[in-house]
Amino acid sequence: MSSLRILVSFKVTPDFEALREKDWLAGAADGSVETRYVRRILNCFDESALEMALRWEDAAAERGETASLGALSVGGRETEPYLKTLLALGYERVARVEPEAALDFAPAVVASLIAGYVRQVDRSDLLLLGCRSGPGDSGTVPFLVAEALGWPCLTRVLEVEPLTDDRVRVACMVDDGLLRVTLRLPCVLAVGNAVVSQLRVPTLTDRLARKNGRIHVLSGAELGVDIAGELRREPCVLVELEAIDRARRGIVIGGATPREKARALFDSHLKSMLEKL
Amino acid sequence: MRFAAILDGTSGDAARRAQALAGFLREGLSGDLAGETLVFYHHERDRTRLVELAPTRAVRLIKTTARRPDRLAAILTAVTQGEGVPLFLFPGGAAGTELATRLACRTDGAVLTDALSVEVGPERLLCRKNVYSGHMVGRFALTARPWCVTIDASWNDERARTSLEHDVMSDSDETDETDATPFEDLELVDPPATGDLAESRFLVVAGYGAGSRERVERIAAAAGRMGAAFGVTRPVAMNAWAPMDRLIGVSGTRTSPKLCIVVGASGAPAFYWGIEKAAFIAAIDPDQQAPIVRNADAAVIDDGLAVIEELAQIIAAERGNV
Repeated sequence: MSSLRILVSFKVTPDFEALREKDWLAGAADGSVETRYVRRILNCFDESALEMALRWEDAAAERGETASLGALSVGGRETEPYLKTLLALGYERVARVEPEAALDFAPAVVASLIAGYVRQVDRSDLLLLGCRSGPGDSGTVPFLVAEALGWPCLTRVLEVEPLTDDRVRVACMVDDGLLRVTLRLPCVLAVGNAVVSQLRVPTLTDRLARKNGRIHVLSGAELGVDIAGELRREPCVLVELEAIDRARRGIVIGGATPREKARALFDSHLKSMLEKL
Repeated sequence: MRFAAILDGTSGDAARRAQALAGFLREGLSGDLAGETLVFYHHERDRTRLVELAPTRAVRLIKTTARRPDRLAAILTAVTQGEGVPLFLFPGGAAGTELATRLACRTDGAVLTDALSVEVGPERLLCRKNVYSGHMVGRFALTARPWCVTIDASWNDERARTSLEHDVMSDSDETDETDATPFEDLELVDPPATGDLAESRFLVVAGYGAGSRERVERIAAAAGRMGAAFGVTRPVAMNAWAPMDRLIGVSGTRTSPKLCIVVGASGAPAFYWGIEKAAFIAAIDPDQQAPIVRNADAAVIDDGLAVIEELAQIIAAERGNV
């Protein structure tokens, strides 16, 4: 296979697990959740996609071929440390689109921006992205992008490998099993629970060698997307947030040692239940 | 107001999806509604069985090519334009998400995935769904029609069976073998067996707090000695400390055991979703502030491996196995 242009679209999100109970309750009262103080992380499915692209490039190099990697994020300055890391890892084209407004629950706008970038700037052959991301967790962005581009799309992708110049072999989970399928390029692949799940770490040498790499910052207008206008036309709007109360009794079992605590748990609760199983 | 439930019988798993739809129509959907089921089928031999599965009395059959979501989307788009059905309901899962999204896109409608409930109003549709990785529920208003909604995977637990007399309103053949497919050389492999998790009455789950692959394996061994099924959280599976088919939670198996012991998992909602139907949850975790402690019926604050191995010994002794 000759040089293939792969673009990975990723999202940097707040680490929701780091938020406290009272933050969620305040979010329900206020209609929005304050997340500015928690650390940012890569959406886990996007992280898989980013590493899968690097492995594709590694494999291409072993065959004496090349792959050209690009990375895109619709996000503010908080994405730039990640974009710099991707430059150091060998991504040639890195860009972010300034969101200009909160797009957390606007998958159609995000998809328009990604599709605009693919069509007008990157001219990619293969778009990889995570199958879903928070806080909206809609899972619709890959299909919305595919519709905008007129490309086929598979979601919950586990593996992808080159087959011929214009075809890839993909393994993905479907509702009734594991599907292996050959797909013509260009296409959109939305990565799911792939075994490849952690992005490699660049060396200091890599970082120094590519420290002058440029992050391309674009506006919606440059991609032909009127973000404010599309937001106003958004046909599915968040109107209210509700907190979820999952609390049970939470009885803490006492004891001085693991053995004592295990015995107390068994005697007070588990014994009677196990007898009925 | 009319709705159409979509049942894709061209791939496997149609019975489970039909049950989920039936449960949702009974308990998740409110409003003044009359509906029909659009049943896609490929083989004649499946026709009767699929009609019997339909969650509404009125059924329309559409014969088409198997595993061609793009074809299904095109057919549904034509149905929408021809008859003006305002609400389409899809089963949860990847296929439902694709169809609902593509249909909304092609008809300038609105899409919402993973609905917990749907309330139909005259001008808009109100849907509730989990957001913020399951930390909250969002209430969404859908305006532009058609409203294309997939139901949450939790409805897949439904065992609602329809005992309806069905009226087959139409049966059309939309098969087009000349239509070029972007998908070639399809090969479907059965998913790894997770029935022991889904059906388990006694379950032990190890989380990332277990600390290492070796310690996860020891927890699995302790579960085995206790006669429990064994599952893990996503970080454990992602670190390859246990096989992916052991995954419990939104992206794995949803369970409903009588007894569930959680070892070293903080209790993130995406995981908790997979055990929330357990009759009794015991948590073992060194951190008393971990969400799993208050979301359990009983908790032991200590090293998970040490306690679970002691428990395994106690249970084995009680059963006279040592």
